[in-house]
Amino acid sequence: MFNDTLHLFNKYLKISLRTPLWLLFNLIQPLIWLIIFGQLFSNMAQLPGFPADSYMDFFLPGVLIMTVLFGSSWSGVSLLREITAGAVDKMLVAPISRISIVLSRIMHSAVQVMAQALVILIVAALIGTSINASVFSILAGLLVIFLLGAGFAALSNGFAIMIQREEPLVVIGNLMTLPLMFFSTAMVPASFMPDWISFLSTINPINYAVEAVRCTLIGPFNAADYFQGLIVVMAFAAATLYWAVNAFKGLRD
Amino acid sequence: MIQVDNLSKSFAGGQFAVNALNLDIKKGEIFALLGPNGAGKTTTIRVLTTLAGFDSGHVVIAGHNVDTHPELVRASIGLVAQQTGVDFLLTGRENLTLQGHLYHLPKVDIKARINELASYFELNDALDKQVMTYSGGMRRKLDIATALIHKPQVLFLDEPTLGLDIKSRKSLWHYVEKLNKELDLTILLTTHYLEEADILSDRVGIINNGKICVIDTAENLKSGISGDAITLSFESKDAQTESFAETLTKDGIAKHIQWRGNNLHIYVEHGASAVPKVVSMASEAGLTISELSLAHPTLDDVFLRYTGNTLTDSGEEEAGEEWWHQWAGKGGGSWGNKWKDDDSADEASTSTEDATTSESNQDEPWRAEQEKWAKLGKSTDDWQKWQNQDTSPDKDTTNADAQTTASEETKQDEPAWKAPQEKWGQQGESDDWKKWQKDSDK
Repeated sequence: MFNDTLHLFNKYLKISLRTPLWLLFNLIQPLIWLIIFGQLFSNMAQLPGFPADSYMDFFLPGVLIMTVLFGSSWSGVSLLREITAGAVDKMLVAPISRISIVLSRIMHSAVQVMAQALVILIVAALIGTSINASVFSILAGLLVIFLLGAGFAALSNGFAIMIQREEPLVVIGNLMTLPLMFFSTAMVPASFMPDWISFLSTINPINYAVEAVRCTLIGPFNAADYFQGLIVVMAFAAATLYWAVNAFKGLRD
Repeated sequence: MIQVDNLSKSFAGGQFAVNALNLDIKKGEIFALLGPNGAGKTTTIRVLTTLAGFDSGHVVIAGHNVDTHPELVRASIGLVAQQTGVDFLLTGRENLTLQGHLYHLPKVDIKARINELASYFELNDALDKQVMTYSGGMRRKLDIATALIHKPQVLFLDEPTLGLDIKSRKSLWHYVEKLNKELDLTILLTTHYLEEADILSDRVGIINNGKICVIDTAENLKSGISGDAITLSFESKDAQTESFAETLTKDGIAKHIQWRGNNLHIYVEHGASAVPKVVSMASEAGLTISELSLAHPTLDDVFLRYTGNTLTDSGEEEAGEEWWHQWAGKGGGSWGNKWKDDDSADEASTSTEDATTSESNQDEPWRAEQEKWAKLGKSTDDWQKWQNQDTSPDKDTTNADAQTTASEETKQDEPAWKAPQEKWGQQGESDDWKKWQKDSDK
């Protein structure tokens, strides 16, 4: 199973590397958000009780997580395209583990959003965001991003198998992203939120991911926050992965 | 090699996709499943290749039961599905290498096997180019090569020449025959082209509505429908027309007749000589023929003979067959079904397109003219008018050109039995045609 997954993962990686423009297109939206929102809300940092020096610093983890959501929600769309193209049948008719077909897609999507996040980090550093540039904090941040990316890619693949249509899948992806972002501390600190949104944020896995990425990349580092976030995204990834694999197994009618 | 007993599978809606199907295909045989879209060909292939489950029956491929040992079946078969399935952004070599890994071949073997397959399919030059630069025929060859990487015992080809041009189609036939002869490979292919089944297969199974109607050699099936087919349309099918039809068989003019609605299909040895007889007999009996047409029997006639339906009729029911519905079946759940309706519309329109293009290659040029003189039973005026039109210079440059190309294509593509059709196609020059005209002038 491991080898099958690896070979298929290699295939997806090769395909990604041959369409680099597509990866860049996916970066445009988060970068626009980072720059425009960073400017628009720059005065918010002067409010009493705001936890960061500049709004850009505060918002960067949110943008990274947004990139993960946007990026991994395409995984299901590409699964549908592969089904249409007959590529999935070709894999299914080979004597390989069914799990490796889903797993390779999800791993690939997670690695891809991790690379995109890295590009955004570099751009953010260039435009003056103050990042904890230690290897440890970057790796710790990317780990959370990887797991969250895997989770959302699994979710997208699972939905793709359930819905079997591209258009509603894209709509669901877009529909999910913004509320998940707003009901978290991605844009506004918890102390600024109305009570009901603050409550919703406590049951939103995105919120924990944002907090974990923020405490490691922007600081101040807080082991409790980080590991809480890590555990939440691990559980989220495990649950969605399990669901997606089962959905895929049920595909054989 | 392929043993199918009483295989049944129904769609979520309850109608049968495959109904009590039996197949017994021996080692080294090429077997063609011939049927219209929606007949259950793809479903059958999907069940036999472990891609789909089934409701009841017993399927053994290369000695392994698909239900209990799907992984053993997978290791011993190769599938070339309707959708190519090769990755366009990868090179031919990368596609083949990946396939080798998925079949768990050692690295050294993969390399050797790729070289072997590339020279076999004459893909050496293209091997390191991305598949998107390939022509349709090359893609199909690569697709077959990937399916052969592990030296399977059985090869499944689902509509292997669908959408290919005539040259690629012929070249592909050549490879399929070669594979079968040189490697003693058992091949099950599906097609809705009669000539494909005819040229390639040892035996043909005609499948319609999920049922096999007849299994025989192509020779026998063809001889059952040789000659020409005359179609008469009457105002109604009543005692008078039925007795007329019976007389035709009794007098030995018709080898076989078949009613479909108000249309009487008459199969005769030689159409040109039979038409005047039929027409005069009809007028003697006081019958009005509202339309008459003459053609060489097509797949439609084979189907009419064995299923009581023509291909055009069954085309309407094709919705359940398309790949999307295989996925949208039980596995897709209620969400899948929700979107199903939209898709059947999409898929149906695509297949109709396919059907028209393929039909028009063979049939269009002469069919249009036929329809014109079909009204012949009533008066010879139309006939005369048409004849004049045809000799006018206008017609010669435009229509005749088109028809020459069309019939040239036909010549390359069709086996010998299509030849009489071409004669009718080049109306002006045909001897039969002149004779026919003389007869009608009398």
